[in-house]
This record gives sequence, structure tokens and C-alpha cells, in this order.
Amino acid sequence: MKILFYALILMTLSSCIEIVDDLSINNDGSGTAKYTINLSSSKIKANSYLALDSLNGKKVPSISDIEKKIEEYKKKLENKEGISNVVFETNFTDFIFKFQCDFESVQNLQKAVKEIVASENKNLVDDEYVWLSWKDDEFSRSLPALSNDLTAKMKSDEVELLKNGSFISITRFDRPIEKQSNANAKISANRLAVMIRTNPYLLTQNTEILKNTIYLSPIKKQVKN
Amino acid sequence: MKYFLNLFAFFTCTLVFGQVSEDIIPRDAVSVFSINNVSLLKKVSMDDLVKYEFMAEVQSELFNGSTNDKTIKDLGLDFNQKLNAFFGQNEQYELSGFTFGINDKKQLFTVFDDFDKIENTQLEGVEFYRSYSNYLIIRGTSGIVIRVDPNIDQVAAIADSIWLARGLGYFWDNQSIEEDYDDEDSYYSEAEDAVEAVDSTYEIAIGADEEEIIEEDSIEGDLDSNDLLSKNYWEMRDSITFSLQEVYLRKITLEIFKDNIHLKNQDVKFATQLQRPSDGVFYLDNSRNLHNSKGLWGFKAMFPELFDDFKNIYSGNVLLGDINLNEHSIDIDFVANYGKELGSIYQKLNSTKFDKNVLKYIHKDNTGFFTYNIDLNEGYKKAFDIVIPILKDEKDPRISSNVLVAELINEFVNTEEIFKTYKGSMFGTFNGYKKVKTKRIEFLYDEETFDYEEKEVESEEDMPIFTIGFSTSRPDIPEKVLKHFGRMTSRFKNNGNYWEIEDAFLNSISAYIINKNGLFMVTNDEDLAKNHSNGYGAKAISGKVAKKAKDSKFVYGYFDWSGALEKLPREMFTSKQNKILDAMKGKTGVLELTSSKTTISNTKFKLTYDFDGSFDNSGKYLLDLVNSIYVLTK
Repeated sequence: MKILFYALILMTLSSCIEIVDDLSINNDGSGTAKYTINLSSSKIKANSYLALDSLNGKKVPSISDIEKKIEEYKKKLENKEGISNVVFETNFTDFIFKFQCDFESVQNLQKAVKEIVASENKNLVDDEYVWLSWKDDEFSRSLPALSNDLTAKMKSDEVELLKNGSFISITRFDRPIEKQSNANAKISANRLAVMIRTNPYLLTQNTEILKNTIYLSPIKKQVKN
Repeated sequence: MKYFLNLFAFFTCTLVFGQVSEDIIPRDAVSVFSINNVSLLKKVSMDDLVKYEFMAEVQSELFNGSTNDKTIKDLGLDFNQKLNAFFGQNEQYELSGFTFGINDKKQLFTVFDDFDKIENTQLEGVEFYRSYSNYLIIRGTSGIVIRVDPNIDQVAAIADSIWLARGLGYFWDNQSIEEDYDDEDSYYSEAEDAVEAVDSTYEIAIGADEEEIIEEDSIEGDLDSNDLLSKNYWEMRDSITFSLQEVYLRKITLEIFKDNIHLKNQDVKFATQLQRPSDGVFYLDNSRNLHNSKGLWGFKAMFPELFDDFKNIYSGNVLLGDINLNEHSIDIDFVANYGKELGSIYQKLNSTKFDKNVLKYIHKDNTGFFTYNIDLNEGYKKAFDIVIPILKDEKDPRISSNVLVAELINEFVNTEEIFKTYKGSMFGTFNGYKKVKTKRIEFLYDEETFDYEEKEVESEEDMPIFTIGFSTSRPDIPEKVLKHFGRMTSRFKNNGNYWEIEDAFLNSISAYIINKNGLFMVTNDEDLAKNHSNGYGAKAISGKVAKKAKDSKFVYGYFDWSGALEKLPREMFTSKQNKILDAMKGKTGVLELTSSKTTISNTKFKLTYDFDGSFDNSGKYLLDLVNSIYVLTK
């Protein structure tokens, strides 16, 4: 429940939240997940909320509470199968939070996320739900089911506050992208990355907005002479 | 003879049953807000009342949806009687609720349909109904809805004691406290399960349905006699809570309905206040608040005589008030009453002149300000004279040594100079919101690779602009402190007329300190610090409002609600909230608080809310305002 509350606080206090979801996939299916939350344009507001004891009847966590919780998640993630190099960076001056980890496969990453969320609240996790899949030259991604639950719990006023924010989803590969299925997505000039730029408000309205299937050029097999 | 006895009995019954709603307010009530229904309802129609969003919420919370397609008119209330809301607390329990008149019981229960009747209460002519922890008790034409919550520490102590006696050790020793509190979901779900379990048991017990009781008996017969012992800690604790609730409720109801003991006949001040011809009255007994203050219970247990002495100082400390709704204003008059000793301290504390310098620093277009005039030096001396003799009689070594320390400080430390530095009088202003410059981090994306880098850019955020200052006749003392910090850190900068402390507020914007004209001021108003360090001159507040501030002896407050609306940053609110703010424009006004000179027995305050604009009457206007605040804050 707390993970939801912390996320909710971060999202609702910030009319100008910027979230960057950056996923790099190697040819062998391993990769790196990076997640950045930038609240620097609302740092006065963020500081104001942190100065409060409670907000909407819920206790507002202190900086040390947040740091303690982050450290807890870091330890949990480090112990998950196929997850390594877990890094959390917190900047409470500009309110920028960065998370990064390496994974051996997207299955490992999803399993780790589900297990951590389930350790907080089992009801939030749908074991069958898959938001990342990788097969040969095809990669599919969407929004974790957790996000749907989170937005369903938000009041309309809180959702409105998200309109000014931005959510950027980037997926990177080791080889060129041939095509992709999302009309809102854009392929980088070097064709090694796909970006979808939206805002947290639109995400709450249309959770399909990040859904994308990306087709990569086949790996060229070496021909033996 | 029998005829006369019957006649006597009839008159006695009529007298007792003729009690009105204010005659059944428990004597433990410490604060009471009483509304004269007649005068309010003359001005506000019930049909209008129930249209308000806050009323819809109240109805659904109280009656759990049973008010569908009904209005408060359908409650069957007697609007000729007062509606009294009360709250109280003592060492054993907290109680809250309201009392009201009834003119149609049948109609009342079409709305209070979640309440089940409790039979065999052994109080003739008194009907008891219960819905979870809320009780509805009716006698004659008046009713009380009451909730009694036992002191949680007492419940815990009993539960722990039983738990230990069962040979299960100390409950908390066997638990990971941290885990219990960390995992709120499991903690609460366990507690909720326990409450549900107790509720269902209790429903059977008080169901008063013979068939159900027989059924329960047969169930009990089948159970192992040790089964009750198998309750877990939380179930047992809930059972104790429910049992104590019954015990305390019985005590309270016997006092009211059998012994005819209630607040009105126990406190003459409250009884007198109820006679006031105002639209509403309120009562707050601060002396009992001190007595009942949880934080002091330990002190009271350890030093009962000393506590009694302090209680005497606070005796008679009762706040009484009247509310009147007029065509263009709402007036709240209240009197803070004191006993002789407390009154003498307050009298000395408030025996100071208004510091005219503060007016220089209040802009004529300010949204709101307050001034507060006290003489800490005189107050300290008087409090020392009254408190130290009481403490000196105490033989406890800790108190005795504290008295010695206080006396030595008083002898060796130059308290006169301390109170010259901080005299006690202060003021504050609020000047709405301004855009202030901050810095933010922006991510810049490379279109070739979508790689990104951070860049610091200028930004603007809304910030409330305020100033707080206090009077001083030793400006050199705070200056010494500022100079020290100026040497220690580059964030403290002396700019001649003012000091600047960078990133002082919310880690983002500067604070400015002005130490001039006998005032030490802290502000985030850059304009005031840079351009008006000697005051606003001709742009400072003057005329009627300035005179009122000077004439108000102890405290003066002013808030221009319409001005505040104009200055609110609209982008901070949602479109729905902005619609309400727009609707409030044109019918907003000025809130003003004034006070009299403090005498040995009281200080009188007057809070006035003057308004203009279009509205049907002040009662409706008040409800419009309450509703707007409710919608804005919900």
C-alpha cells in the first residue's frame, strides 16, 4: 500500500512531473532498465508537502522515510533472480530520482517487479499479466497493470493535475528497428531507439497509449567460408 | 390521597419528560456548540439546506444511505428546540454527539433506520437504539445521539494484563512491532476482521430476539469452555473496548435520565449562555481541558497536590461565545474568562502599548495581517510570582531542583535585557501569491539517438508572500547573531539595509531579514527588503483599519477574503475549484478580529465577517461559504 501512496503523492503533488522510462534491450534479451522522475519544476511545492505532517489524511513521509524505503527496495531488488547493478540516486535539492538496474531477461525484470509489489500488497499483482515480451526479432511492451490500478484510485481532480506533466518512454536496441506498431511513437534517426512522448494524464485516460510492438532487423548470421 | 399522589406523579413525569434537548447534554461535555434552530431556519429553507454538498455528505455518513429521496425535513426533528453538538473527554473516555428535539418519532426512524432497539434498559420512559458504536437515546420529545470511546491506553492496559495472566507473556514482546506498523494493510485488516467478529457476536447479544438468544445459547453450549480464551489479542482488545463502552454509556445515561445530572444544571455559566438570544452559542471549558489533557495525566498521577494547585490557577477559564447572523455580517462575540490568578498574569501580559512602527510595514493593499501586543517581561514577572511559590511547596527532589534552577536563572540572568530583545509584541502580513524565480532541471534529447542530458534552466513558481516581525529595543543582539552566521556561511549576506539568506524557504528561495526601526522582520518579499526597508511610507496602511489595529488592545486581525480570491494563483486549482472561486466572487467580504483590554477576569473578542454582494440572507450566505470551503478542501 505504501508504494502506491508514495507514488500517488509524487504524482499528485507535481503538476509538472517528468518521468522518463528508458529500457535498453540487448540482442540476447538481457538489458538495462532506467527510470527517472524529475520534480525539479515543482520543488517548492514538493518541499511544502514534505513540511506537512499529513496530506489528505495520510502521513506524509519524511526524507529519511523515503530514503529508508528506497534502500529497502534496493536490497529487495538486488536479491531477485537475474537482477544486478541496482542503483538508486536521490536528489532532494532538485527533486530528481533515478533508478537503474541490469536484467538477464525481461521475464526476470517482470518477475522481480511483481514480487516486490506483491510483498507490499498481493491484490495489486496479476500473475498472468505480461507487459514486456521478447521473442527473436520482436519486442512488445505496454503499461504494467499496477499503473492501471493506481490511476483507478485517483480522484478526477488529482488526475487533472497530471495534465502538465510529461511521460517519456524510450526503448533502445542493439540493432536497427524495421517498424513499430504505435502511431504515437517515433523512431530515432539512427533507428536504434523508439520514443513515445505523452503525459501522465493521458496515461490515466488511455492505458493502451504505450502499447507497442517493435520489429527489429534480423541478426545477420556469419557465413563460414 | 391516591388522586393527589397520581397528580403528583403526573406532574413529576411531565417535569422530567418535559426536558428539552439542552437538558440531556452530558456533564462530561467540555465543548458545546448550540444552534437555535428557529432563528436559523427562519432564514434558511430546509429545501435549500439539503442541496448543499456538505449536507449530502453528512446525511449519507450518519444515516448510511437511508435518506435517499428524503430531506432533513423528513427527520421528524422539532425545530423549536435547540440542536446541540458536544464533545468531552476525561481519563476514562471520550464522548461526542448531539442532542435535538423530536416531533415525529415515526418519521425519525425512517431515516435512522440503521439503529436497532435495545430492550430491557431498566430506565422507564427511555428508549435505547444502537448502530455500531453510536447510540440513539430518546426520552419524550428530545433525543441524543452519542458515541463513547474508552481511553485506548486503559483498554490496552486491561488487554495486556489479561494476556499476561493467561500465561502468554507480554504481547508486544512476542511481536515485531516494526513489522506490525510497517505493514499497515495486514495490521488493519486483522483489526477489521476482529471488529467484524465482535460486531457479529454483539449483534446476537443485543438483538433482543428470543429466537436468536436461544440459538446463541445452544451454540455456547456446544463450545469448549476454553474457547473464549482462544480469542486472539486484538479480538480480546475489541471485546474490552465494547464492554467499557457499555459501562461508561450506562454511567452517562443513568446520570442524565435517572439522576437528572447534566451539563446545564452543573455549570451555571453554560446555563446562562444558553439563555442568550443569539442564533448560536458556544461553550468551551478550558479548565477541564487542562484537567483532562492526556499529556498531563502522568504529571497528575505523580504530583496530585501540585496538579491541584495548577488546576486552581486555571479554574474559571471558560470560553463563551455568541454567533449572530445579520443581513450583511456574521458576528461572533466571545469572552475568555479567567480565574483571579490566571487573570492577573494575562492582565500584566497584555499591559503594553501598540507598537506604531508595525503599521509602516503593512502595505495598504495587503490581503491580511495581524498584530499581537504583549509585554513578556511583565507577564514573566507575574507568572514567576504566582507559579514559583506553588512549586516551592512541593517536596519532590526533581521539582525542587527545577525551582532552584529557575530562581538562580532569575537572579543571575539579565531577564530585563532578554525581554528587551524579544518584547513579545509581533505582527504578520500576507500579501497573496507572487511568481518567484527558481531553477529546474530539464532533459534535452538528442534526436539522433534519443540520449538525453540534464540542463539547469530558470523557472517560476507561485509562492505565498508573507512578513513576520517582532518588536525589539535591542536590535544589536540579533545583529550579532546574523554577523556570526555571515562569517560562517556564504548563504548569509549583509546587503546594508537587510540581510539575505539564500535558499532559506523550502530550499528554493531567499529569506530577507530587516532589523530596523525597533522591529526584527523576516520576509520572503524581495520588494519589501530591497525597496522599502524603512516601511512603505505613503503606501502603508492608514485610516480606519490602522486606527482599529491601534485601538484593539491585545490582538487585531484583518483578512480581505475578496482580495485573497483575486490574488490566488488560478493555475494551482482545478477547473472545478476555479468555478467555485468564480461563484464566490462578488459575495466575499472582510474578516476582522478585535479584542478588549484584558481585565483580571476576562478578555473580550469580537470576530466580524462583513460582506456585500448578492445573497438571500446571511444564513444562506454562511452556508454558501461553508459549502465553498467544503468543496475546495474535500
